[in-house]
Amino acid sequence: MKALQFFPEKCTGCMRCEISCSYAQSGVIQPNRSVIKVAPLEGHTSYAPYTCVQCDEGWCMTACPVDAIVISPAGAKIVMEDQCVGCKLCTIACPYGTMFMDTTSKKAIKCDLCGGAPACAEACPTEAIVWHETEQGDWLGDFAQSRAQYNFTGLVQSQTG
Amino acid sequence: MATKKHLIVGAGTAGYNAIRTLRQSGSQDQIALVSAEHPYSRMVLPYFLEQGISEGHTATVSLNQLEKWDVELHLGRRAVSLDTQNNKLTLDNGDELEYDDLLIATGSSAVRLNLPGADGEGVHGFWTLADARAVSRLVSPQSHVAMVGAGFISFTILNGVIQRAGQVTIVEVAGRILPRMVDDAGAAVVSRWLEARGVTLRTGAQLKSIEDSGGKKRLSFADGAPLDADLVIMATGISTNLSWLKGSGITINQGIVVDDHLRSNVANVYAAGDIAEGKNRITGAMEVHAIEPTAAEHGRVVGANMAGREVAYPGSLMLNIVGVAGLDIASFGAWDDPDATVIVGRRDATNSYRKYLLRDNRMIGAIYVGESNETWSGNDLGMLKGLVQSGVNLDGWADHLSRNPFDIKRPYLANRVVSSLMPQTTLGQSSPSPR
Repeated sequence: MKALQFFPEKCTGCMRCEISCSYAQSGVIQPNRSVIKVAPLEGHTSYAPYTCVQCDEGWCMTACPVDAIVISPAGAKIVMEDQCVGCKLCTIACPYGTMFMDTTSKKAIKCDLCGGAPACAEACPTEAIVWHETEQGDWLGDFAQSRAQYNFTGLVQSQTG
Repeated sequence: MATKKHLIVGAGTAGYNAIRTLRQSGSQDQIALVSAEHPYSRMVLPYFLEQGISEGHTATVSLNQLEKWDVELHLGRRAVSLDTQNNKLTLDNGDELEYDDLLIATGSSAVRLNLPGADGEGVHGFWTLADARAVSRLVSPQSHVAMVGAGFISFTILNGVIQRAGQVTIVEVAGRILPRMVDDAGAAVVSRWLEARGVTLRTGAQLKSIEDSGGKKRLSFADGAPLDADLVIMATGISTNLSWLKGSGITINQGIVVDDHLRSNVANVYAAGDIAEGKNRITGAMEVHAIEPTAAEHGRVVGANMAGREVAYPGSLMLNIVGVAGLDIASFGAWDDPDATVIVGRRDATNSYRKYLLRDNRMIGAIYVGESNETWSGNDLGMLKGLVQSGVNLDGWADHLSRNPFDIKRPYLANRVVSSLMPQTTLGQSSPSPR
């Protein structure tokens, strides 16, 4: 199965993924409507893209009271917009923070892998976002941890004993 | 080999999820469903009032689908007694149904205040589809609506009422709104937001009676002036539908006490949803969590167990979210633990309020209040759920959070919450698509 993999050390924070995503998802170039979010780390000297991992449980999908979230042929949990009533339950059921409400349509919105050709991966100029055959993973954990040490004294102390 | 017969009482979220999970597990067993109402989702009724969706859209499952799943239907019928010795359920028309195992998922009912006029004309609940139809028919731009009760249920319909009524007054006996969903400081942010949008709040108001007066409903209080309204909506709490189980031998405390497989004290009788008293995932305490996600998870676990799997449930996580006129309000887990270490963040200019409750450097609960544009531009809301659900040790990041309460993302990522959550599934396998 193909999945989105992130290589945060290659991310330059150019935000092309957010721009492309918002355009693919909402038809507007407006990063705050993007469902991929670039996290600034270490005082804006590092960046890392973050989106839905299409988790096995599908917390959004199993919580939806009207079965408006289904699995697409591309393996994404997707919102059927005409079925969504806008109750927001999926947004607090998802423990990854990757379910959103579209403030214009008042419907839930999430990463649908663009039907199998993710716009974010296509737009990324440094291959920090790659769409290929891989297992899903926690692509940012180690990076975020390593980038935390330098402005987070508590951790340095605990690591050095 | 003769197939088993599974009997489901209640077609709400828990019952429906149990049936679907049974069939998705490949079970060919017999399934029978008893329900007083047609299957629909209460969660959806507020959006019916807002007129964003049609009445048909409130259904959770169609009769067609139930037929495809080969479910023997007893709709419009109530269960009146249970004989656990002989595995027999009696319905209100005298029919007796036998079972090999039984799911009790009879849910809860709205409770009205016991005072003169509470049952009168022009006073409505907002719990059933019939209630929603009545309120939707009566509310108009000319009406002054009095909402009695300022809890979660009341707030779910507030958007619809604000949009469709001329004037709205919220009456609450407690000293503040949302007493069981957010703390004092969070409630104050929400109150300010509502008052700025023309909603009148009357907290600490003890309602004494509701009378007809000159074509209006007059609400009289222990103190202060009476209130005249055109329509009264009462959302003053719910109670479990369990009285029919008296004498059945099923152990009932606040709800039916269930083990970690959601079995009652009688091994072939399960309970799920609003009537089940099960484990709180965070505290381990036995509690009734009358919320939609708990009902769905309970129902799925029961369905899997009825299908012959042994699925243990880690307990339910208290979750609530409600949005009112562009402000999102949510709480998670043990948000009111008085003994927890507390971190608070607030930005009054943007109506942002955060509260994190920690024990042993693990987040056990959280409160979130924020304007929609802020909420949906970031990942924080769901990440708070992930921090509570994963229970990761935040170590020194707790200090970081106390200095930077709006920087949730870094503690979340750096503590590898994603790694911790990815293996988690409720039924021990990937969830299939619901359609």
